[in-house]
Amino acid sequence: MMENQSKRHAHESSLPGILGIVDSAISRVESFLLAVGVLLMAANTVANVVGRFVLGNSIFFSEELNRILIILITFAGISYAARHGRHIRMSAIYDVLSPRTRKILMVFIALVTALFMFLLCFYAVKYIGTQATRGRVLPSLQIPVWMILIWAPVGFFMTGTQYLLTAIKNMTSKDTYLSTYVLEGYDQDEIEV
Amino acid sequence: MAATIFTVMIVLLLLGFPMMVPLIVGAFIGFLMMFGDMGQMETMVQQMLAGIRPASLIAVPMFIFAADIMTRGQSAGRLIDVVMAFVGHIRGGLAISTAAACTMFGAVSGSTQATVVAIGSPLRPRMLKAGYKDSFVLALIVNSSDIAFLIPPSIGMIIYGVVSNTSIAELFIAGIGPGLMILAMFSIYSYIYAVRNKVPTEPKATWLERARTLRLALWPLGFPVIIVGGIYGGVFSPTEAAAACVLYAMVLEVVVFRSMSLNDVYQTAKSTGLITAVVFILVAAGAAFSWVISFAQVPQQILAAVGISEMGPIGVLFVISIAFFIGCMFVDPIVVILILVPIFAPVVKSVGLDPVLVGTIITLQVAIGSATPPFGCDIFTAMAVFKRPYIDVIRGTPPFILMLLGLAVALIFFPQIALFLRDLAFAK
Repeated sequence: MMENQSKRHAHESSLPGILGIVDSAISRVESFLLAVGVLLMAANTVANVVGRFVLGNSIFFSEELNRILIILITFAGISYAARHGRHIRMSAIYDVLSPRTRKILMVFIALVTALFMFLLCFYAVKYIGTQATRGRVLPSLQIPVWMILIWAPVGFFMTGTQYLLTAIKNMTSKDTYLSTYVLEGYDQDEIEV
Repeated sequence: MAATIFTVMIVLLLLGFPMMVPLIVGAFIGFLMMFGDMGQMETMVQQMLAGIRPASLIAVPMFIFAADIMTRGQSAGRLIDVVMAFVGHIRGGLAISTAAACTMFGAVSGSTQATVVAIGSPLRPRMLKAGYKDSFVLALIVNSSDIAFLIPPSIGMIIYGVVSNTSIAELFIAGIGPGLMILAMFSIYSYIYAVRNKVPTEPKATWLERARTLRLALWPLGFPVIIVGGIYGGVFSPTEAAAACVLYAMVLEVVVFRSMSLNDVYQTAKSTGLITAVVFILVAAGAAFSWVISFAQVPQQILAAVGISEMGPIGVLFVISIAFFIGCMFVDPIVVILILVPIFAPVVKSVGLDPVLVGTIITLQVAIGSATPPFGCDIFTAMAVFKRPYIDVIRGTPPFILMLLGLAVALIFFPQIALFLRDLAFAK
């Protein structure tokens, strides 16, 4: 996986012009959020354990912070995973189809997935709207609940966009792409560890 | 309603959609049929977010992170060396070492894929050189890695615990017995295989050599102590044990072994975040899906159709085992747990089965299923890692699967295999 990505810069976009600049900036932000999210979660959870055993009391906002971080990681990650073709799929049947059928099927898969991601984005926005009017806050941190959920629609939107771009990329180019970033057949990318 | 939903989901799965899509589409159809319009879709988003909310799920990214650090650092290699030094010289010793190393690494990682990579990659060339057939080696690696599912920490058990509201600590302890029994069976089989195929034995390590490898592995051997000892002794909750592992792994690899730079830690965190997101979006979508099918009483309909209520506890356990075994032959284990556990929940409760026993049996079936053709996901991991064709990876699996199924049946009739340690630890 690593050796494959080094051939191309990790955040290099395959899109032309200004879109490409935006896309690679988003990729950078997502990967930064993923890493920092996990590191903060580790620091928070570790500090809580150390606090409980050494100092005899837990961090009062620890659980709420982890709740914020897991939403952040999940929704920054699904888009990043879509960009790198890393979502788990059962490709045994897909793999034995003819190249032309695979290409058509991939366009179909990408479009349907994009559609559902956009639908979820729409309903997530509505849900957050409802939450915002209720004015609930996290008990310890006093942050409005709707704010910590904002990553959900953003993540769904970015993921939908990735799949839409994958469909477009497959329609406009000769090869078949698993994502905007991953050309089919790069089997190193499928190693999920 | 149930028939429509499951048909659509299976078709999407087989076409090769990302696995979150069948779950999301299944939930969408469920909400649509249940409420007649799109008015309740906000509830679907709410249920998805509720699915990733339980605090005990934090153990998942933490264990993945700890394992990720160890695999990139030196811990995994040192564990292999110590096992090799002690059992490498007996008949089939290299094979037994591989199974034992998988079990040990399972005790620190909780993921079968990570185990295939961390143990299988360095040991396969050594076994081939020693004269084992590749079909045996591949089958041994794939099946032994599945022991990692049962030995704590286990990602599958954490998800089962959260979905079914069962104590994760008790599940962890209950997995140890069956896990060690699998190791024993594989070791005996390896011995017989080595005798029958006249595989030469390895030179015996000297006690000096053993002492050296043991000293080097002393630090990594702290992981099972933290996890099993910490949970068994009631010191840690599973999430706390996971956090302690992360801290320990960081101190080892960054400070003691100096095998990782801070930039490596950052990159590892990123990779952990990616894997976490891929799993958690499934958990989220699975939560919405199981909420709507439970709301629509689909589990009750399915169970009634199977006529499960007349079967008694043993019959129920057999039905559950078969369902999970078949499910995992086709689909990722986490997806199977997310879909099937809520379906069986009502009957597990009404028959009065111990949810910890059910969880252990499910985890065992999940482990067997994911190494079983046609689509067991570990087969594909092995294909990708070792660059071998499908048929080579599965050729040697039948004896292993037979042994595992034997244990699965034994576990149903003698639940003490799993529950003995649990009862001892939690004084039931």
